[in-house]
Formats: sequence, C-alpha cells, structure tokens
Amino acid sequence: MTVKRREFLKVLGVGTATATIGCGTGEVERLIPYLVSPDETVPGVSNYYATTCRECSAACGVLAETRDGRVLKVEGNPQHPLSRGAICARGQAAVQGLYNPDRFRGPMVRRNGTLERVAWEQALQLLAQKLGETRAGGRAASAVFINQHESGSFPGFLDAWLNALGMPSHISFDAQSDFAAIAANRQAYGVSWPRYDFSAARMVISFGADFLDSWGPSVSQQLAWADARADVANAPRLIYVGPRRSLTGLNADEWIPCMPGKEIFIVRMLAGGIPVAAAAAASGVPAEQLASLQRDFTALRPNLALAGGSGPGAMQLALAVNALNAGSVGSTVNVAEAVTAYDGMDSPAVIRAAVERMRAGTVPLLFVRGANPVHAFGKAARVAEAIAKVPFKVSFSSVPDETTELCDLILPDNHSLESWGDAAPVRGTIGLQQPAMEPVFDTRATADVLLELSRRTPSTAARTPEPGYRNWLISRFPGGARALTEALPSGVTAGTIEAGAGSTTAVTAVASPAIESTRGDMYLMLYQHPLLGDGRGANKPWLQEMPDPVTKICWQTVAEIHPRAAERLGVENGDLLTVQTAAGSLTLPALVYLGVRDDTVAIAIGRGREHAGRYARAGINALDLLPAGATDSSGALAYVSTKAQVSKAGGYHELVTTEGSARQHGRGIARAVAAGSLGQAHAPAAADAHGAEAGHGEDGHVVPEMEGMASREFLPGLRAPVANDAQGDLGDPNSNAKGMYHPDHWSGMAKRRWAMTIDLARCTGCSACVTACYAENNIPTVGADWQNAKVFPDRTGFGANIVRSREMAWIRLERYFEGGENGESDFETRFIPMLCQHCGNAPCEPVCPVYATYHAPDGLNVQVYNRCVGTRYCSNNCPYKVRYFNWFGYGEPARPHYAFPEPLNWQLNPDVTVRGKGVMEKCTFCVQRIREAEHRASAEKRPLQADEFTVACAQACPSRAITFGDAADSSWAVTKLIDDERAYHVFEELNTYTAVVYLKKVNHPREAAATAAAGATTGAGAAPQAAH
Amino acid sequence: MHSRLLMKLRRQWAAVPAFFALAALAASVSAYSGASSRAGNSPVQPVRFPHPIHVQTLKMNCLYCHFAANKSPDPGMPAMSTCMGCHTVAGAAKPEIQKLAGYWTRQQPVPWIRIHKLPEYVKFPHMRHVGAGVSCQTCHGNVQNMAQVSQSQTLGMGWCVSCHTGQSNPPFRARYDCSTCHH
Repeated sequence: MTVKRREFLKVLGVGTATATIGCGTGEVERLIPYLVSPDETVPGVSNYYATTCRECSAACGVLAETRDGRVLKVEGNPQHPLSRGAICARGQAAVQGLYNPDRFRGPMVRRNGTLERVAWEQALQLLAQKLGETRAGGRAASAVFINQHESGSFPGFLDAWLNALGMPSHISFDAQSDFAAIAANRQAYGVSWPRYDFSAARMVISFGADFLDSWGPSVSQQLAWADARADVANAPRLIYVGPRRSLTGLNADEWIPCMPGKEIFIVRMLAGGIPVAAAAAASGVPAEQLASLQRDFTALRPNLALAGGSGPGAMQLALAVNALNAGSVGSTVNVAEAVTAYDGMDSPAVIRAAVERMRAGTVPLLFVRGANPVHAFGKAARVAEAIAKVPFKVSFSSVPDETTELCDLILPDNHSLESWGDAAPVRGTIGLQQPAMEPVFDTRATADVLLELSRRTPSTAARTPEPGYRNWLISRFPGGARALTEALPSGVTAGTIEAGAGSTTAVTAVASPAIESTRGDMYLMLYQHPLLGDGRGANKPWLQEMPDPVTKICWQTVAEIHPRAAERLGVENGDLLTVQTAAGSLTLPALVYLGVRDDTVAIAIGRGREHAGRYARAGINALDLLPAGATDSSGALAYVSTKAQVSKAGGYHELVTTEGSARQHGRGIARAVAAGSLGQAHAPAAADAHGAEAGHGEDGHVVPEMEGMASREFLPGLRAPVANDAQGDLGDPNSNAKGMYHPDHWSGMAKRRWAMTIDLARCTGCSACVTACYAENNIPTVGADWQNAKVFPDRTGFGANIVRSREMAWIRLERYFEGGENGESDFETRFIPMLCQHCGNAPCEPVCPVYATYHAPDGLNVQVYNRCVGTRYCSNNCPYKVRYFNWFGYGEPARPHYAFPEPLNWQLNPDVTVRGKGVMEKCTFCVQRIREAEHRASAEKRPLQADEFTVACAQACPSRAITFGDAADSSWAVTKLIDDERAYHVFEELNTYTAVVYLKKVNHPREAAATAAAGATTGAGAAPQAAH
Repeated sequence: MHSRLLMKLRRQWAAVPAFFALAALAASVSAYSGASSRAGNSPVQPVRFPHPIHVQTLKMNCLYCHFAANKSPDPGMPAMSTCMGCHTVAGAAKPEIQKLAGYWTRQQPVPWIRIHKLPEYVKFPHMRHVGAGVSCQTCHGNVQNMAQVSQSQTLGMGWCVSCHTGQSNPPFRARYDCSTCHH
C-alpha cells in the first residue's frame, strides 16, 4: 500500500478531527452599521483621494487609498508632474505616522512637570490667555513661531495671523533639506531648486549630492535619472566625488574618493582655476584620476554638476559647482520649470539667532509646529537650555519629540492625511491636499486652531469670517468651491502660490572651526539616514526595519570604516569602536565598508531618540558628536566638521544586517553588461570588468553563458501554460483532476502566465519597493526589542530577531560589490530586488507535505496559509531564500510579539490574510490585486486589459524598473521586456523556470565613454563604437 | 547494564512516533480549527428584524438594504438611516420599531450579532457570486421565511467546492484553484 503525502496526515488526523470540528469559539461578533452611509462609498471597495505628501518638503502628489473610512495605503499620483505615480519609502510610511501608536491623543498641558490631557476648550482658553498677556505686556513682537517648512498657502496664512496679532512672521525651517544647495541655487539661478535634465547630459558629476535618495525631490530626480540611463546609447556617465559612497555614489560609474570638505579643489580644477597636481594634493585623489576626469569633463558636453557636500564650506562648494553649470542652464539645468517646494525656506541661521534670543531671555512666547529644533542641531548647540528659558512654549506637533518634552502646551495638529491644504511643488502647479479620513485622535488642524484664536481675540474677530481653514482656502481658490471640487480628484491644478520671501538675505557666513584644526585621527562624517532623515522617520517601524540601501543595516547605528582602517584598528565587523570628538564620545559597532575613505569614519544620524516614541529608541544619536558651532556657510548644520579620535573599545555587538555576503561568489545573481557590447548578441561575451564568473564549471557540467549575453534557453517557456514547463501532464480539460492546467479548460486560468521583469539598468537600489510590499501585504516588522524571544538572553535589544535572520521582507534589495577585493575604490555595485521567483518548476512545491504551496494554473507559486503547518521544508529547499516564517505571533494581537500595536493595525490591508504563528509566507505577486482586477473585469463583463493593474512594488518604483504582467499575452508590456537581449533568469542552471526575468545592469566604463566622446568630437557619428 | 542501555535507547526511540503523532495532531488542529461549522446558529438580535415582512409582504428586494452585495466583496450592513427612511413613519408605534428609534435618537448603531462569518483567510467576493446568478438563498438559506435569521449552511470548504466544481443543483462552475479564495 502506498500512502500519499496528504493521506499520511489525514489518517493520523482522523482521531482528533471529531474533537475539533464543531467547536465554535463562543465569541459573539458584532456587525456595526453606519448611522448614515457616507456618500460615494461602498463598503469593501476602496476610494482614492488625491492629496499631497508632507513627509519631506518636496510635496509629491499621492493617492490615499481608503476603505470603510480608513486610509490603508499611500500610492503615487500618476497625474502629478513631479512624482508621476511613483513614491519613495518615506512617503509610503506616512500611514505609520498617521496611525502611530505614540501620537498625542489630544491636547496636553504641562502641570508640575508632566503633560496631562485636557479638553480643547481648556487648552484654547489657556493659549488665548497667554497670548493676551503677551500682547498686553507689549512683548508680542518678540514671540517666535517656528514652522516645519511647507510650500503652499499655509505660510502666508500663518504670517497674516501672526502679524494681525502683532507678532513677527514665522521662521520656516527644514533640518532635512540641503540649505547650502538651496541658498546657492537662489544666488546662481534665482530659484530654490532647478529641475535637472539628466537625459540632456552626457556626464553628471555629483559632489556629495545624493540626488537619487535624500537630496532634493529625489523621486522626480530618480525618475529622470532612470529614464536618462534607459537610453543606453546616450546615457550619461555618473561620477561621484566625496569621502563616502552614498546610494547615488554606489550607482555612479566612477567614484573619486575625495577628502572630506576638499571637494572644492576638484571643482576649481574643473573650472580651470588650479592645475591637476594642486587639486590632487589638496583633495587626496590620485592625479591620473583627476586628469582623466578633467579630460572627460571637457569632452562630454553638455554636462551637469551637482553639489551636496555638508562641510563648513558647503555653500562655497555649491556656488562653485553652480558656476560650472553656467553654460548648461537651459539644457541640463531647467530653471523654467523649477521646483518651487523649497521657496520660502529660511536659513537655519535664522533659527540659531532666535535660539540665542531665547537664551538671552527676551522671547516671551514660542510656537513650534512640526519642526524639532532641540534635536536638529545636536546637544552641543544647547538649544534645549535656551528654549527652557521661554516662559510659555506651545507645540502643535502631533507626535512627542525632544521639543515637545520642553513645551507647556501641546495642541496636536492633524496628520497631513487628515488635513486640508495645498502645496507648490513645481512652477505653475498647485498640489492640493485634502483629508482622506476623519482624525484618528482628538486632534485639530493648526490652521483651524489659529482661526479659532483669532475669533477669540477682540481685535481680530471681525477679520475672521471663515469658520475653518478649508473655507479660507476656498475663498482664495480661483473659481471658488466649485473649481476646487473639480480639481480635487486629480490632486493638481494650474496656478501659482506666492511664497513668502524666505531668507535669501539672512545667509551669513558663520565662523566655524576648520576641520583640520580639530583633534582626532580620522575625519568624522555624519550623514542623514536615507530613510529616517534627521530622525523624523525614526518612530515608523517600516523605516527602521528596512535596511539602509547602502549599508544594509537596520535598527542600529554603526561606524562605517574602510577595510584598511579596520585592519589598522584591529577590528572586524561588529567590534566596538569608540569615536570621540570635542563634543563627546560614543561607542558603537564597526561596519567595514568599501565605500568610505580610509581616513574617514561615517555614521548615519536619525536613530537613538529618547523622547520620540517606542521605535525611535533604537540605535544611537550620532548628532551628539558634533561640536558646538558645527555650522556651514549657509547657516545649516555641518555634518562634516570635525575629526574624531577612533579607537578599538573592546567588546562586540552583532551587526543588525540583512546582508548574507556582499559578494556573489560566482553565482551570477546580479549580472551586468558593458554598454558598448550591447546590440551584438552573437558576438563572444564582452568583457565585464568584474563580472560574475560564468558557471561553476569545475566538474564541467553547468556552464551557462553568463557574461555579456543572456542565456535565453528558458525564456520562451514563460509563454507556455504552466504545466508545459516541468510540472508534467496537462490533464483532461474536462476533468476536475488536473484539467485546470490545460489551456483549453473552461476557467481559462492556464491561458495566463503572470510574470515580472526587473531592469537592473534602471534599479537604483532605493528600496521603495520594499516598503510598498510591507504596506500592501501586511508584512510584520520584527525588530522591536519587545518582539525578541525570551529564551535567548544574550540576544536582546532592537534588531535581535533580524540578527537571527527572521526579517519578513518578501522583497529585499540585495547589494553586491564587484572588485575592490583589496580595498580599491573602483569597485562596482549591483542592486537586485529579490523576491519569490514564482518558478515554473519550483523546488519548494514538491517538498510540502500538506500541499500548502503549489503552482496555480496562471503561473503563481501559491502559499495557502491555512494549509501551512510550518514544517519549513519549502524554505529549506528554496534556492532564492525568499520564504519567510512566522516564528512568533507577529500577526496575533494577544501576543507580545504583535507587530501592529493599536492603531497601527488600522492600516492592515483587508484583502490580505494576516498570518499567524507557525506559518510560512512569501511574495504572492500581489494575488489580491490580480483577483481584484479579474473581479472588476468580470463585473464590467469584459476581458482583462493589458497593463490595467500592477503589483505594489512595480507601482511604487521611482525608477520604473519593475514591470508586471501576463507573459502569455503579447499585448502586455512585460512580454516585450522579456525579449530584451539583456534578459536572464537567476540560477537558470537549476531548471527552476522562473517567472521573474531580470534585465542586466548596464555599465558605462570609462573606455566606452571615451570612445563615444572621440566618435562625437571627430564627427564620426554619435553611436558608440562597436566592440571588436 | 547492557539491557538497561538497550531499554533506554528503546524508550528514546519510542518518542519518535509519539512526536510524529503529536505533530500530526497539531497539524490537523491547525487545519480544521478555523473552519466555520456553525450551521443552525440563530442568535436573538438586539432588534427583532422580521425578514418575511420585508421580503414577502412588502416585496422588497434584498439589494434594497444589502445594496453592496452586487458591487463589492462585502455586502455591508444597511445604515441606520436606511431603516429610518421608512420607520420614522411606518410602524412607529410598534415596540420593536420604538427600540430601533431609540437607537436612532441616541445616535447609536444597532449592534447586530454576526451570524455568517468566514475565517479571515477566506475571501468571498459577494459581487462575483451575485453576478454569476447565485441566489442569496444558496448560501444564506431561505431568509425570506426566517423570522429570526439562522445559518442554514455549514459554510465549510467542502460545501464551497462542491458548487465550484459543478456538483450543485442547478450546476454552477467556478474556479476551484486555492488562490481563488485563499490569499
């Protein structure tokens, strides 16, 4: 007798089945109806509200998906001129700000040192009284209002309110924006931020500007960059100059590891001011590298230079770099369609001056909204001390932070997804902001609070006709309420909002000590974390758990040092280092990183915040290392302004990293091809300087052609029904047994073959797809310290579950280095998003004893959670390691490991099962979106249209690298990409017949660029020279 | 000595099948515990809502109140305002209507007791079933005759699949791939 694998358990299960069937839980569940059903909502069907993202100053357009009155997800608004439907990780994490469990529940008053909840009426009375006292005392003109910078009508509204009450205009502050660049742009171009046309450039030099990740409106810059690079023949070359390779640095074709703060010498060299040798001596870069840079810079025109350094001379650098672009205004620098989102932003020097007034005791009243000055300038600036001297401090912050810790009255603002507003993202366009849901807590929009205060003040009551800010906006909107209603669905409208002056004048050079005169043996380079910024995102578990795109570290602060520095110090990954500056000393684990100069230690800021909520405590606040007066010439904080004494501390802390190895070890996972060798599919493999070695041919049996040319053996199989691949027979189309796998089966399921292409030439590694997947698929975060297993007493603190490889990211960004084995700076980086490959011949499927994972007729590798018993055989057998196991009850509210403390769980997608303990999970190709699209088509009695929907990762991707669709139907875009000559399958030699097809990264080595330049300059045609 | 060692080994090995049995037990518990099997469940609702009067006497269509059943995965419960649209006037003196009106004046929703409940890992798009011509009664029983609604079917997976594979009367056919309902 043969026992089939299903029956094995069936037989054993019979005895217990009687005991379990029929046992209800006994719980009574209630169905609560609406009192009055809201207009235009259908229960269970999502509505999308176009609004504006306020997670950074760029103000991209977003669509807030709401269902049954709750926001579920934030997606890019395709109609927005700047973000064009894409969205970054921070923007998506807005929902975790909205539903943050640490938000203020309502207004608070400080009594005897602690904050107590009060009613709004009491809070407003208190403020009205204090305001009255200040005005009666004639001190209103000394009040200070610090507002988190935002574009749109609110700054003007706020100033009108302040001025009407005799107070000075507000200070518009953004600690996360590169103010040196903004100030230099205002001087050079007359706009705060031009748009950069990368496609017009033949060469881009970035002096520390991380334009793909955290510098300026990165989503729109990333879109523009990916489009420019997709045109391989005319793609610009990217050179990155700076002491550390940021994400943009890793995407660069060449890195010039310049000493911190010495970029200006290279700029002067390019401008013809100083000879190559002098620049080389001053910047610490070999003269040959600078000589060839200068040659390329002259040959490859038009070009584009960007400056984002943050040393004491940041503004001089930015001005010098803008001068390099003087001839490119109109071609690569687009001033006509400038980004207006930064207009009106004040210099941080203005805040510093205000802080000094507070220290002197001349400020009677302080208002802070959104901004967090106590944290932003670091401990050494002693902002907290100064603020403490203000008699009455009011915060409109909706989340606790270092500044609210000092405030006497908290009037929590609505979250941006609960508020009315507008924005000025780009010249000639107004972005609209509307509430996507009722406030989660007892909060009120600050604008409404200010209007209410005006009404309570006799002198201004008569001038406040509008009952709320929405009415105020309508009264000023061209065309009034009707025009606004018509414009709201698209989220944008043509128009201009006059920005306040901003402080163009207040940019004064602040004396700051030269780096060289500080004590230490290494340069200290702080940088804003690409996801957490200066710390604003620190209390959002998605952003904490998402590995930094460059270092792959999460939940932890590390000191990045070069392998040579590590050798010198006698440390390896995780060994503790002491980093000491004049301001203080920190002990933190070392991360050996190739992309940092050997005389520099780099540390990300943004973590280690004491008063910003439960998740923000993770890591260490490296701002504490900055000495007082760490200021650049624009008044902004100079993150690179001191040397540090770095020494081995003794001791060890495991790195909280998701990286297994930074090397491919010849596995050919992320492949690349040189630009010049494309278009010659039949030529022998072209040289790929550090390419993955083809094959593991020692025993001579598997040697797929990996370099230069894709092996395409299995690609045609992607067009065939699933069963044709390797699954065996098709079955009888009229039978229920295997018939569904036959393309002629009435269900038609097997006619489709869902597939995905990922273009590595477009992918920048930014990881927005990762957050999109977390948001769409209810993926739990596991790194909080209370989620740790109690049975491992040595594994405590944030990220211990990650150290044990228990992260749950269905899609992860793998980052591999090629070359640089001996610490050379000319290493190449390859990013590859890795997710379930939905193999046609999946190794996970046959090993499941309970058929919890199987192949659907439409090509999906399905995981049925309710069948899964948690043997983990599938995960062990998966060559891609894309299956994730719920070791604890991350999805179960009653357990301490629960990942969604109320109200974070309001965000959960009702279309996706929340997985319980002991269940395996993985990428489903967003099966819920596929089914939803099928439902919609069926309801409208039509076939599914090509490209009518896409998966969450592809939808978010700001470089448009991911394409999803039906490989069996040639009208879908994905089928054309599968035919690309760069297409390949990862681990093709395993016969897995994957449904995810990667397109090789395209490298632009210097030789190719030089050849192209020669061709262009000699008039032989702009086409790249054929390889031999 | 020798035999004692053997005994010990044997005892240890005996644990292996026991472990398998336990694992299997755990597996079957996990596989079955979520299944709905509350056929016959008929709780007393906070307000007695007589379907027969509304459906049979007044000839109201199901979709008048459960308006989303043909356009959403979720049929929704009618808003209180739907009830009060008629009952502000109709039958205002009857005790159950007064109970309803009491909720309405207090602006409280009626906390109806849920009867038909599928586990969270099952997605049941109502509109696909209604659109395919499956009558409400197929799954919910003859609600038009129920003075107090009770669950008439098991709502178990075997019952779903029997219809999806064309074994019902009248026969329907629908996909029976796992990912049709489980995701």
